[in-house]
Amino acid sequence: MRWFIHNMFGYWVFLLVISCGLSALTYIYFLQDLMK
Amino acid sequence: MFEFTVAGHVIPLFLLVLTGFTVGVVGGFIGVGGGYMVTPALIVFGFPGYMASGTDACHIAGKAVISSIRHRQLGNIDWTIALAMVGGTMLGVELGVRLLVYTKNIGLSGVVLLAASVAVMLGLFIYTQVETQRSHRKLEADRKAGKEIGREVKVSTIPLYFQRIPIMPIIKARKARLVISMWVIVIVGVLTGVLAGFLGVGGGFIRVPALVYVVGTTSHLAVGTDLVEIVVSSGYGALRQSMEGNVDFMAVFFMIIGAMLGAQFGSIATSFVRGPAIRYILSYSLILATVGAMMRLVYVLTGGTQEWLAFVAVVFTLGEMVFLCLFICSLVWFAVRHKHGRAVPEWVPPLVVTT
Repeated sequence: MRWFIHNMFGYWVFLLVISCGLSALTYIYFLQDLMK
Repeated sequence: MFEFTVAGHVIPLFLLVLTGFTVGVVGGFIGVGGGYMVTPALIVFGFPGYMASGTDACHIAGKAVISSIRHRQLGNIDWTIALAMVGGTMLGVELGVRLLVYTKNIGLSGVVLLAASVAVMLGLFIYTQVETQRSHRKLEADRKAGKEIGREVKVSTIPLYFQRIPIMPIIKARKARLVISMWVIVIVGVLTGVLAGFLGVGGGFIRVPALVYVVGTTSHLAVGTDLVEIVVSSGYGALRQSMEGNVDFMAVFFMIIGAMLGAQFGSIATSFVRGPAIRYILSYSLILATVGAMMRLVYVLTGGTQEWLAFVAVVFTLGEMVFLCLFICSLVWFAVRHKHGRAVPEWVPPLVVTT
């Protein structure tokens, strides 16, 4: 966990995973029906 | 109650407000319009392509006005450079659009054009990332040596060559504190405008590096000055798109509600960081946009049969906006913590301002 905070690339990966996770949840709960 | 219909599709309102907010933060911070993120996102939300493009152009114009006002208050606009560049930019965009029409008429495929945009974004990403990492290391070395460090550090020497060009008229850009031939600025505007018109984008992600690495302004000034350009170019684009009936003004209204807060925050956030932090976020936005474009291209090339590819492309398109917004918010948070003497990640202190 320390590497994901104190290393800039690690922090980048950490935030990207969180962002894509939030987006995936948003897509599944709100957008999937819109795209059918 | 919290949804409304656009072109036959029901759209959740909060997504429009959230999109306006996140792209407002990013646009106000790195000086881009964000069309390359918002248009694909609106298509994901169910907007038809022509409506997504037109609605986005209107939203960008409004958001750029908000950001420009805030950047003017922060002293981040050089009006001499902005006015010298505007004419060149408009001419360049017109030339770029005509070049695009010409290449389509001679049968150049869309894949080739997409490859060109990927190549440009990738090239800008590599140069910006390498130069910013070297600047970051220089900042860290100066900080450890106890030297006083300014808000901007650049290691690129390219601007010095362009500033020495003696073609009259030579103008003094007072805010940017540089003396340069007006023709350099006009030609930068034309060339970035051609790229923007050809690739079908606003051009902020091309003009900001051009202002920093060719004209030689600071990153903060490049962001503010470029937003003035975006007000002009996207304002014209919004007018044309609304005349064609490609704009849903209710959607624009809700996106601007989000942008009102986001653009203000993104603009103010620039005062918490040094130049390399802005260039880092710009380079991340370039590589993420490139990866997102390549995912969509692969999905199209496989004939739209791989549903998992569509899902990944959609998640990445939305995730890119959230990522950049979260990174900027965390930089501000770390800057405030560092100012109060609290622990921050080791890479943060050279990038943030504590005074």
